[in-house]
Amino acid sequence: MDIRDLKKQADLSYDVAVAKSNALEKALSRQQFAYCGHLFMANAETICLVKTLKELQQSSFYILDVNQNPVEIKDPQEFLDLLVKRNQETLNTYSNLYSELQKKF
Amino acid sequence: MTQGVLLFCFDTPEVKYHRVLERCVGLIQKNLKLEITVVTNIETFKRMKPMGMINYKLITNETGNKLLGKPWYQTERYMAYELSPYDTTLLLDIDYFCYTDNLLQLMETDQDFLIHDKAYDIVLGKQGLEFERDSMIPILWATVIVFKKTNYCKNIFELVKYIKQYWPYFCELYKLSFKNFRNDYAFSIAINHVNGYRMPNFLPGKLPTLTRTAEVLGFTDNGLIYRYQNTIGQLENQDVHVLNKELVNV
Repeated sequence: MDIRDLKKQADLSYDVAVAKSNALEKALSRQQFAYCGHLFMANAETICLVKTLKELQQSSFYILDVNQNPVEIKDPQEFLDLLVKRNQETLNTYSNLYSELQKKF
Repeated sequence: MTQGVLLFCFDTPEVKYHRVLERCVGLIQKNLKLEITVVTNIETFKRMKPMGMINYKLITNETGNKLLGKPWYQTERYMAYELSPYDTTLLLDIDYFCYTDNLLQLMETDQDFLIHDKAYDIVLGKQGLEFERDSMIPILWATVIVFKKTNYCKNIFELVKYIKQYWPYFCELYKLSFKNFRNDYAFSIAINHVNGYRMPNFLPGKLPTLTRTAEVLGFTDNGLIYRYQNTIGQLENQDVHVLNKELVNV
């Protein structure tokens, strides 16, 4: 392999990796949202926990916010809907950015 | 319950910070739509262009503090508690550009005081900035602070004032390598004390930062373009804290 091609490939890979990292960070910052006066991340962990507790047919339950403070969730369906909506909004944007990055190779 | 943004802006002989303020205010008006109060001095105020419905508080600021050998007037941040007219205040650095409405979420919490404990280097695509290890205590980032008018917050700001007054002593005590007054360290120390040397509540996520090594080439409607070494990068719909003060000339 030509050393110039190799350097070009390495530079491109680095730039794409940084851009991907920034796109992910942008998505994660968008996943922060407030509910019942507390902050949560609309990520897979929160969604799975809320869905699991809701499926156990609990009308209300307690979870921890991002700073490990307890919060009573009185309307699990409303909370779950907001979590999923926010999560998919951010991942949709991330997916579009990721697709653009893949085209650079 | 009133909510609003509080900004501090003082021109120095070398940097026309009011130009940065004008850009910052425009983005807040567009994306956050919160009431804004600007703390400034009369000289800087006279240079500002009309920016719509803005509250101004004119003070006489201290001079003499420096950053990288150049004048840097930012030692009045401890006054934010008494100067803020809001129940919940978003205290922002003027070089933090809100290209999203993400910060609005932070205004809806019950927490008294929130601050970032992590920063993200956009240029290198990784968590952490180079100088954050230059002290005995973890550095907090005073760029974005949300606080309410409570006794807890009042104590934090009064302690920042005290720390500022005896800055050389606290530099020695906490082994700070940054000898000029810096709000990040002052708030880190104050919060450390007020919380009984335990971790308080932090803002989730990381402070997105464009470091000094990156040069801002231009601004678009929803972001900015920067150059780092041989790479041109573009940020869109993403909040960013820009450290390179040359952006006033863009």
